[in-house]
Amino acid sequence: MSVRTLAAAAVCAASLSGMTVHAAWAADPDAFKIAGVVAFSGAYGIIGEDMKRGVELAIEHRGGKVLGKPIQVTWEDDETKPQPAVQKATRLLAGGAHMIFGAVSSASTVALQSLADQRKVPLLVTISADDKITRPNGSRYTFRTSNTLGMEIRMAVEFTKAKGLKKIYAVVADYTVTREGWETYRKAVEQAGVTIVGVDYAPLGNRDYSVIIDKMAKTDADGIAVMVTGNDGVTFLKQSGQAGLGKTKVQFGPVLQDELLAAAVGPASLGVYSGVRYHFSHDNEANRKFVEAYRAKFNAWPSSFAGEAYDGMSWWLDTVESTGSWDKEKWVDAFAGSTRENSLEGKKVMRACDHQALQVGLWGEVVEGKEPLPPLTMKITNVFEPEALFPPC
Amino acid sequence: MSTIVIGLSLGLLLFLLAAGLTLIFGMLGVINFAHGSIYMLGAFIAYQVVQITGSFWVGLLAAPIIAGVLGAAMEWLALKPVYSRDHVYQLLLTFGFILVIEEAVRIFWGLDYKQVPTPDLFSQPVQLFGSSIPSYRLFILGFGTFVSVVLFLALDRSRHGMVIRAASADPEMVQTLGIRVGRIRTGVFAFGCGLAALGGAVAAPLVPIELGMGMSIIIDCFIVVVVGGLGNIRGAVMAALLLGMTRAIGYTYAPDWVDFITYLVLIVTLMVRPEGLFSRKGRTA
Amino acid sequence: MSSERFVSAMLAAIVLLIVLVPIVLPGEAGRSLVSLILVWSIFAIGFDLVFGVAGMLSFGHAAMFGTGAYALALLTTRLGWGFLPALAAAGIVGAFVAVLFSFFALRVSGLFFALLTLALAQLLFVLAGSKLRDLTGGVDGLPGVPRPELWGIDFYDDGNYYYFILAVFVIALVVAAILRSSPYGHALRAVRSNDVRAEQIGFDIQRLRQSAFAISGFYAGVSGALLASLMFYVGPQMLHWSTSGDVVIMVLLGGMGTLFGPILGVAVFEVLREWLSQVTAHWYGVLGLVFIVATIFAPQGFAGLAALLLRRSGDQR
Repeated sequence: MSVRTLAAAAVCAASLSGMTVHAAWAADPDAFKIAGVVAFSGAYGIIGEDMKRGVELAIEHRGGKVLGKPIQVTWEDDETKPQPAVQKATRLLAGGAHMIFGAVSSASTVALQSLADQRKVPLLVTISADDKITRPNGSRYTFRTSNTLGMEIRMAVEFTKAKGLKKIYAVVADYTVTREGWETYRKAVEQAGVTIVGVDYAPLGNRDYSVIIDKMAKTDADGIAVMVTGNDGVTFLKQSGQAGLGKTKVQFGPVLQDELLAAAVGPASLGVYSGVRYHFSHDNEANRKFVEAYRAKFNAWPSSFAGEAYDGMSWWLDTVESTGSWDKEKWVDAFAGSTRENSLEGKKVMRACDHQALQVGLWGEVVEGKEPLPPLTMKITNVFEPEALFPPC
Repeated sequence: MSTIVIGLSLGLLLFLLAAGLTLIFGMLGVINFAHGSIYMLGAFIAYQVVQITGSFWVGLLAAPIIAGVLGAAMEWLALKPVYSRDHVYQLLLTFGFILVIEEAVRIFWGLDYKQVPTPDLFSQPVQLFGSSIPSYRLFILGFGTFVSVVLFLALDRSRHGMVIRAASADPEMVQTLGIRVGRIRTGVFAFGCGLAALGGAVAAPLVPIELGMGMSIIIDCFIVVVVGGLGNIRGAVMAALLLGMTRAIGYTYAPDWVDFITYLVLIVTLMVRPEGLFSRKGRTA
Repeated sequence: MSSERFVSAMLAAIVLLIVLVPIVLPGEAGRSLVSLILVWSIFAIGFDLVFGVAGMLSFGHAAMFGTGAYALALLTTRLGWGFLPALAAAGIVGAFVAVLFSFFALRVSGLFFALLTLALAQLLFVLAGSKLRDLTGGVDGLPGVPRPELWGIDFYDDGNYYYFILAVFVIALVVAAILRSSPYGHALRAVRSNDVRAEQIGFDIQRLRQSAFAISGFYAGVSGALLASLMFYVGPQMLHWSTSGDVVIMVLLGGMGTLFGPILGVAVFEVLREWLSQVTAHWYGVLGLVFIVATIFAPQGFAGLAALLLRRSGDQR
């Protein structure tokens, strides 16, 4: 056995080991470290980038510091899957992160909650909508400043009543969250005298709704409730557009459309109604300033992902600053009862019982936009007050 | 009745998607896992061409041609050295293709959704059998039938097809007759990729155009290929129609069970008649 | 020392170095990564028994991996079982699923076997995400999977849990080594190279294949359970065919049919993923290029490549 061979093997092994070490993140106590674990690829890949922008602007607007130290965000891609989310967050926590920001998909966020609770590290959620992420006796360390699906469902109920729809046919994704949302909706509107003429449960990720659309077209329903998430909404609207369903029936859904999804659907999205998490047209001073700054820096209208991320992170960092302490427990206690008067959507109140922020709900319609607005844009048609949208703890 | 029409159109769309895979499989013995990625590429190319020229039809023509050229390059550079190896290594190779193609699409087009509008000619629904049937679906019915007839005639009835089939059955013999088997292989792979991209372009007005779209159809394609028999065009058409009709009926009565039933069909076929429900006996993997 | 033995020893040394990084280097540096590598290595070693030794390409091992994980999660969180019994149960569940699959799948061989195992696993994946949601938590999975609570040691400390996983890994490795070099292992190899002849000699090839499948299912179930505990979470993603694909790629990359090859493959795969994702945003594409290049130029995987290089430099003495 030659020395050269041994040396080669040793170098090989050392570099492989070196890579495993290098792959970790060095600890640095002189900064406020945020672990940003969001989707930069996979089904929700487009959302992560917007959230990153929102956070970066929020940090910029406070001079890049909190508690007298610079803020350092490390962004990692969870690929819209729970396992990479936990893996990367674990690594970042081992490197000294003081909090986790993320994730996008509810599955990843739920997975991160376990980790956050184990490591006693705050988790700030500004997009995932699954109700169970914030609930009474839920995770002490999780806070959500954005909408819950429950809110969106209740808005859909109010919209149904306000619009005078009497007969509803629904398509529901075969997914716990949407199924439960549908049950809530159904009970509420049936109490208001609305008839459900049909409901079909489609698999998550369904690619062909033509048969279901055909069934819908044959009924005398005046409203189509589309209780699906993400891509599935785009698929449905594209195909219902080809069948002309939107011409005789009102299509709506709790999380059906925004500027991004409307662009994905095309002209068939006109006239569709949906819950809107945040909108750049919402008129108050804080939002106007934010939108102006965002457009100046990124040359684009802020999406709901960017807006909610900016809002949530600003609120959180302000609260951390107000405690004057590096003790995470103090941050959690301070945030749990806090109120933000000048959030981008008006007043938001963080509820101590479930760590969910009470806020107004926006509902809108897809309309044609004139320059400089995007060609397909949301027009806010209803603003619902928190009292109507959040059940008591 | 409208369910039958929809079922047929679902089936022929499936055939268009799977035709390339069964061709490559049957003629080259290669499982092209990257089939879904090429389908996705076809949709994106169609989008880009529509952006430039404004015409869906030009996109429909351009996508398979560009993908065919790409497929030829892939075959020549990467697949050729690997033919003699254990089939299992093709898996690793085509997996690599998937990742590279996806990354290329991401770099070129970014992460957001693209949109291809339904061509004006077929954007309005048509009244048929008491239902409002989207005319684009009827276009798919017609186009799919056309493609399947052309493929069948080309492979089963033409001289070129005979040479290709001979080259796959006994390459050495064909080589000694002076025919360049290597060239035929490249051509078949390129053609299969072209078909995959054609499927993508046709599907573009129907489904969201985004990075994950390839993965969502690959299982369906495998089902059509297996149930129809590897390399069997006529079998693939039958299998696709069977699957389409099963789906249409499934969506009518129990839509949330459609995925489950789909896999069940595959399992039963593999257990009972792995050479395919519609094949003439004798084709093996 | 013969060339073969020498190569194996070198591979073992490399693996040893990787595996002991958390002990050798202080701090939390590579700990979570090495723990992940160890868990997946257990999966890969068991899988190679079916793939490399017995010569069957299964695309459905995610089913055993995932059901093992769910078994641990449900037994500990809903039925209050202790960790060790639940871990054993996870292995048994994995083995059971493997035997069940083998009833269906061993009727056919080669490509059809691969596709059938894929379809069976996907069926389970679809059910876990939808119809079995009361059991599995549906698409969003089950959080709150615990760590072991044994002997007063706090296994919620990742450092301590690493030692636990290491212990299981060593046992798994030793058992696999024994199996591979035993008459049983030889019989499996015989079935792989020529099953007709093997049957003529008198081997019960169905029984041999089924048992190999069951053992690999046990390994998969245990590793799935360990991963769920590492992540504090289990979800249907663990049952998806891409998980099956991952283990196939890892074993191919590392060198199928060898004892240390699969471990090397897991290590290379995971390290590349971690490292590349920090170096470039386009790491997925680079990983793809690595696969392509590896297939063309390193047909026996990295183990084969290492063997080739080591033999060559040995000859040049």
